[in-house]
Amino acid sequence: MNSESTLVGRTRARPGAFGFLTDTTLCIGCKACEVACKQWNQLPMDDFGFTGMSYDNTGDLGATTWRHVAFIERVADRQGRRPTRLQPFQSHWLMLSDVCKHCVNAGCMEACPTGAIIRTEFDTVVIQQDVCNGCGYCVPACPFGVPALSPLDGKAHKCTLCYDRLKDGLEPACSKACPTDAIQFGPVHALMDRAKARVAELQAQGVDARIYGDEALGGTGGIGGLNAFFILTAPPEVYNLPAAPELPQRRVLPAFLTTALAALVLGVATLLSFWRTKEVRHG
Amino acid sequence: MAELRRWQHRRAPGEPVSAETRESYYGLPVIHGPHWRWPIVFYFVLGGLAGGSAVLAAAARLVGGRWARSVVRIGRYLAFLAVLPGPLLLIVDLGRPERFHHMLRVVKLRSPMSVGVWGLVGFTASAFLNALWQAAEDGLLGRRGVVRCIRRLPDRGLAAMSLLPAFFLAGYTGVLLGATAVPLWARNALRLGPLFLCSALSSAAAALSLLVGSGPDVQRVRRALERVEQVALVGELALLEAVQRGSGDVVGRPITVGLEGRAYAGARASAGLALGLHLLARVVPRRCRTVLRVLAALVAFGGAFLLRAAMVFGGRCSAEDPRATFVMTRGERH
Repeated sequence: MNSESTLVGRTRARPGAFGFLTDTTLCIGCKACEVACKQWNQLPMDDFGFTGMSYDNTGDLGATTWRHVAFIERVADRQGRRPTRLQPFQSHWLMLSDVCKHCVNAGCMEACPTGAIIRTEFDTVVIQQDVCNGCGYCVPACPFGVPALSPLDGKAHKCTLCYDRLKDGLEPACSKACPTDAIQFGPVHALMDRAKARVAELQAQGVDARIYGDEALGGTGGIGGLNAFFILTAPPEVYNLPAAPELPQRRVLPAFLTTALAALVLGVATLLSFWRTKEVRHG
Repeated sequence: MAELRRWQHRRAPGEPVSAETRESYYGLPVIHGPHWRWPIVFYFVLGGLAGGSAVLAAAARLVGGRWARSVVRIGRYLAFLAVLPGPLLLIVDLGRPERFHHMLRVVKLRSPMSVGVWGLVGFTASAFLNALWQAAEDGLLGRRGVVRCIRRLPDRGLAAMSLLPAFFLAGYTGVLLGATAVPLWARNALRLGPLFLCSALSSAAAALSLLVGSGPDVQRVRRALERVEQVALVGELALLEAVQRGSGDVVGRPITVGLEGRAYAGARASAGLALGLHLLARVVPRRCRTVLRVLAALVAFGGAFLLRAAMVFGGRCSAEDPRATFVMTRGERH
């Protein structure tokens, strides 16, 4: 059993994998990433709703939202006390530009029954739109709630990590547009080294910083790490991220085994009842 | 344009907004739920009925004597007829139904849906062959040369061959639900397959005992079917209890409260009632027995339907609840 400290900063990302490091301490909530993503990928407008609870009217990732900036207004700490001094970064705001995590072992990809979801040469996870038949199994199979079925074309959609731009040697639209470099694009292992240095720096300044997306936090339970990972300054649940998600397909073999065992028991019971049932006498 | 999106607040009345942001993101769902609704519920019920009927027909053919031939005949026809709407229900449910054949371009052993598609194809083929042989035997196809060829196929071999796909079809749907991030299904991943198997067998035995009609050996046939049904109902009751207890308060909430909760309670009550009616039928006078047994069969079949509806719709509720997801992803027990 590995202790958690040895797993911090460790990822099973393959050599040559590309991804994002989203440093929430640098995010100013400008939503340039959301807009750039929509522009480049020609994503239609979301339903123009009003959440009525925060500055965030986007709500979550979806079929037409591949970057989503979460706004958390910290008016009280976890015990419900009002803070008396400002944090060094983002003050009483937490902002996180959420995105598909391009998991090292991706639940959506393993679930996909058509082979529409593939791993590209950049080690990113992409849904091939000419193959997807909209079965929707990838949607609940994602531990982070990323893919979604579009009511417009009936297919599943999510971030492609700008596969078309990567093919032409360009960085993804969101990281290109980010004015503070909160979203950084590059080889995952280089980004992870940078994240570790940044977290050490933040901790030296008294900020409760952590990496989300290594094998200790976020990339847990067989997921093996996230190619798009984050630096957080609060527990992941505050950002709507699960602390220790699990790859759902880890349960496939055990579940088939218990089902086979039940089939064996019921099969024997059925055979016995047809074998041993005697003739019923009338009267 | 799609309708305006409405956001649900899960804050208790009187609690400040800050309470939501302590433990979750304004109470919004962490994961995306499945879009599955009634077509999938009906597919689960019919798949269970088809698989269960094929198991009973095969067992009756392999170890039952001539007296059990009515189970073989009706079980084979029922298995084939019940599985026929299955693919149609699944195709209707796709976002792009015209691309259904994309399911057949890969085999992925770690994807229960991919394995399930191939299992469904295999089951349909074996159910078709079994039903074809039976139809030839029953003289429904005339006496031409082709029919004589069909009858030359090994009957017991066909029955034995259908056992594996039949059990697979009846149980794989539970594994499919368990291999998702939906808390209610994920927590019960090991129990859903066996639960669906028990429910499939009990509903198929119930349906067959209603359909065997009146032959010379009908009492003996009913007795055999009832024995199977009772074993399956006992297993079903135990697993329903285990699912409820194993889920805990937070993850198990969808099957405790609301419409889904009532459906789940109804499934449990139906299994218990069907079992009770069978036991009662043993002690009451003969003329009341048939009524009780018909009633028990109908109740058991209704319970199988309620169970699938509660699990499918309960999963949708479960995915909406961030607390349930966080409980699962912290490795906590409650």
